[in-house]
Amino acid sequence: MMGASISRWTMTYFATALAWLFVALALMVAGVGYPAADIASPDTLVLVHAVCIGWLSLAMCGALFQFVPVLVAKPLFSEKCALPALVLLSVGLVLLLAGFLSLGGRLPQAIWLLPLGAVLLVAGFCLVVVDLGLTAWLRPTGPARFVLVGLASLCATFTFGAVFAFGLAGWAGSFGGALLASGIPLHAIAGLGGWLTLTAMGVSYRLLAMFMLAPDVDDRQSRVTLATGASAVAVTVAGGVLAIWLAAESTVVLSIAGLLGLASAALYGRDIVGIFRKRKRRQLELNMRMATLSFVSLAGTAFLGLALVFFDALPAHVGAFAFLAVFGWLSGLVLAKLYKIVAFLTWLETYGPLMGRAPTPRVQDLVAEARATKWFVVYYAAVWVGTLALLAREPAAFRVAAATMTVGAVGIVREVIRTRRLADVACPLRLPPGAVAPYLLFARN
Amino acid sequence: MTQYTDVDVRPILRAGGEPFSVIMAALKGLEPGHGLRLLATFKPVPLFAVMADKGFSHSEQPLDGGEWEVLFTPVDVAAKEEVSPPPAALSSFDGWPEPTVTLDNRDLDPPEPMVRILAEADKLTPGATLSALLRREPVFLFPQLEKRGFRWLGGFTPDGSTYELTVRAPS
Repeated sequence: MMGASISRWTMTYFATALAWLFVALALMVAGVGYPAADIASPDTLVLVHAVCIGWLSLAMCGALFQFVPVLVAKPLFSEKCALPALVLLSVGLVLLLAGFLSLGGRLPQAIWLLPLGAVLLVAGFCLVVVDLGLTAWLRPTGPARFVLVGLASLCATFTFGAVFAFGLAGWAGSFGGALLASGIPLHAIAGLGGWLTLTAMGVSYRLLAMFMLAPDVDDRQSRVTLATGASAVAVTVAGGVLAIWLAAESTVVLSIAGLLGLASAALYGRDIVGIFRKRKRRQLELNMRMATLSFVSLAGTAFLGLALVFFDALPAHVGAFAFLAVFGWLSGLVLAKLYKIVAFLTWLETYGPLMGRAPTPRVQDLVAEARATKWFVVYYAAVWVGTLALLAREPAAFRVAAATMTVGAVGIVREVIRTRRLADVACPLRLPPGAVAPYLLFARN
Repeated sequence: MTQYTDVDVRPILRAGGEPFSVIMAALKGLEPGHGLRLLATFKPVPLFAVMADKGFSHSEQPLDGGEWEVLFTPVDVAAKEEVSPPPAALSSFDGWPEPTVTLDNRDLDPPEPMVRILAEADKLTPGATLSALLRREPVFLFPQLEKRGFRWLGGFTPDGSTYELTVRAPS
């Protein structure tokens, strides 16, 4: 079959991801991990992995299972991989976090949980990489190439992670120990910069062009953006490992990678401005207006990074820098797009079979944008205040900001659930004869 | 030969009722390998996709007074008894008539282009075609067309700005 059908498990991934977002927010509100604890402490590791694997990676995987087939106009290589991958990733993450808690003395001594969790996570991510990689490989044009580079970065990230987990258990030999001692930035850059950011960029090219009726970004132009970003990740991973192997300083490597990363963010900014300028749809929908706040956050992250390097304060404030990248840029974009994706997929699933045969609501009729706007504004404002609180070293203010972020996120999730339940669709059109209401947590396809 | 169980939903439809649950109940009661003979006051097109999902092919014939008889046959049985249907997408326009409808959907907000194509496609007489201009490849439309038994052919113009799609109704 040609084209893209509805991915059965995307909603399940989204729901699991949102559950982990709330776990992470609860930890921040409770003052667990950075800034209350050291940035390298086990508590912070729990928080960081709940956010990066539980929330962002699962949401990204869910979105990719739906949108890689759209990018290549071919069905997914195998729909059967998606659910086992989710189970492996969820169990692996719980074990990993339990391992970190044990490392910090919050659970009885059981460091073997770390390598066990890592093995399950690697297995889960391998299923995802093989399934999505083989699908994207069929037609690797434009955005699909970003996804392929993102998946390669994911492989680098989980390989580092697995070596660290075995290293912490004392099973990784002397080179593993050396990697663990100085390789954490490589793991973080490959994950946040390579896997999450490059993939988000690739998917956003197509989603933005699709939802705003703009022509696709010229392939040659986006290829330069990708090449710069991919080089940043490659320099970090290859150069960083080489530096550790030679027992040399990795500062030069990370500086080159930082410059390349900055150039890639700037080129991406140019591409996005181009899409906005050439759009046919003048009136922007809520998800687009909110996505612009996440682009502003990405620009803010770049400027903050520059300023911190200029004032020689990056090591002291790397937490604030990462927080803005993770919650302003990545989480903001994911929440804004999730709001639209759920509405569109729910509409397609419910009314697709009736389209053209009976009056059906429009996609816009499934959402109440006026009500949702305020929750997004609350969320973004709280993220920016939280970044300032971290820079000002005010942990109490940061916890208030985290609580406000939670309020915003609860509001957004409530709107998403209402969309899935068709709660805002006026009655005569809601379920015409032949239409079947969708399940909350997975799709009939 | 496949054995069919009769389900006459005409009285329910005439009374303004919704026969979907009755049909699904009848489906549950079917023995393995058995089919369903449905009698309705209109051609129950939305049901075809639902039944296709459940593994049934359909063949319909009009009765007097605008009523329809539809045979739903389990697909594994149908494959043995009938020639398999042609693939949905063809490689050439050989034998396709000139489009009876031409749509320019390039400036419509998504998903309106897809909605209009499906609405017009359902009005086509058997074997007739429609053509549509779009901004991008309608990836979500293809599964809908396939479920409804349409064939199509499409591609971008050389400058990449317009996707030209031709859809042909089942003959």
